[in-house]
Amino acid sequence: MKITRYEDMDDTAKDMMREIGSIGTGNAATALSSLLKTGVEMTVPKVEILGYNEAVDLLGHPEEIVSGVLVQMTGDVSGVMLFIMKLDFINEVLQCVLQENISGYEQMGEMEISASTEVGNIIISSYILSLSKLADMEISLSVPAFSVNMLGGIMTVPMAEFGYVSDKLMMITGKCIIGGRNVDSNLLMLPDIQSLNYLMDRLVTPYE
Amino acid sequence: MNKEIKVGIADMKIARREGVLITYALGSCIGISLYDPAIKLAALLHIMLPEAGSMSDMNVFKFADTGIHEMLRKMGAFGGVKRRYQCKIAGGAKMFDMKGAGGIGNIGERNIRSVEAIMMAEQIRILKKDVGLNYARTMLVDAEDGSVKIRTAGRPEIIL
Repeated sequence: MKITRYEDMDDTAKDMMREIGSIGTGNAATALSSLLKTGVEMTVPKVEILGYNEAVDLLGHPEEIVSGVLVQMTGDVSGVMLFIMKLDFINEVLQCVLQENISGYEQMGEMEISASTEVGNIIISSYILSLSKLADMEISLSVPAFSVNMLGGIMTVPMAEFGYVSDKLMMITGKCIIGGRNVDSNLLMLPDIQSLNYLMDRLVTPYE
Repeated sequence: MNKEIKVGIADMKIARREGVLITYALGSCIGISLYDPAIKLAALLHIMLPEAGSMSDMNVFKFADTGIHEMLRKMGAFGGVKRRYQCKIAGGAKMFDMKGAGGIGNIGERNIRSVEAIMMAEQIRILKKDVGLNYARTMLVDAEDGSVKIRTAGRPEIIL
């Protein structure tokens, strides 16, 4: 089945992404737990195909200040991954790694940015690892880029990247429980359409 | 009382005499406002990409070229006269510092250049612009007088 846009993904394809999402989540929780030296659980994620405006509204208000970790994929699959972290998530991380708490993003210095970027990177890598294993593909990741900005502004980066091929985004949302406290986990997973087709071919067994 | 009319991403709205057109968090996107003071006609367009290319079935307001052309057409239909238009633009920022360059890092810059080129071809002078750098902007256009305000986090509001 040839997909030209994310909207074309049928239920089988979406189930496949959910499967990858679940496994990736498991990996991410284990890896994070190791980094943060505390129990980390992640709920079974929801995989949604959303329009731009819907995606922003789901995550909050477009002017809300959030942080984002952006990683580019190359190799058998190319595309972009974006992990959105709000202040509460960042504080859970900083509490574990640096034993500190901040009241605003402007208090983030080099150490705080480094720790937050690392967490985003670990989560993204976990998903990519599960994806590459399941599909038996080689995927390379770029060095992560970190930004603190309005939510709407940050979201325009992956949106623009895929604007030529799709009006939709693929989002994996769930809850992350760090040391007993609940924070939202929001990952935008955007393989380009060629890669998505390649993935679907590798993962979805056609039934006669 | 001024009603706020929201312009989403890849969207365009027109207001006449009253209302404030608002579009949030322009990152690499560009907000383009055109105002005809003679008839108090205001339009605000929020584009994402520099040009439509071969895409024919997509939302025209996503791209600078098709978006601006459609905006001009609509304004004309409402009685707008091109040579009277006051044009102001905002956005085109670089949200992430991508090491190793590539297209994704400089989409904001490409958008700015595309909008400037299209306006020049349309013979519409861009009066003011607040573009580039690395932060997102919210843009407001008041249909009553065509004034444009830019709101950013942690900085005072500016009037373009």
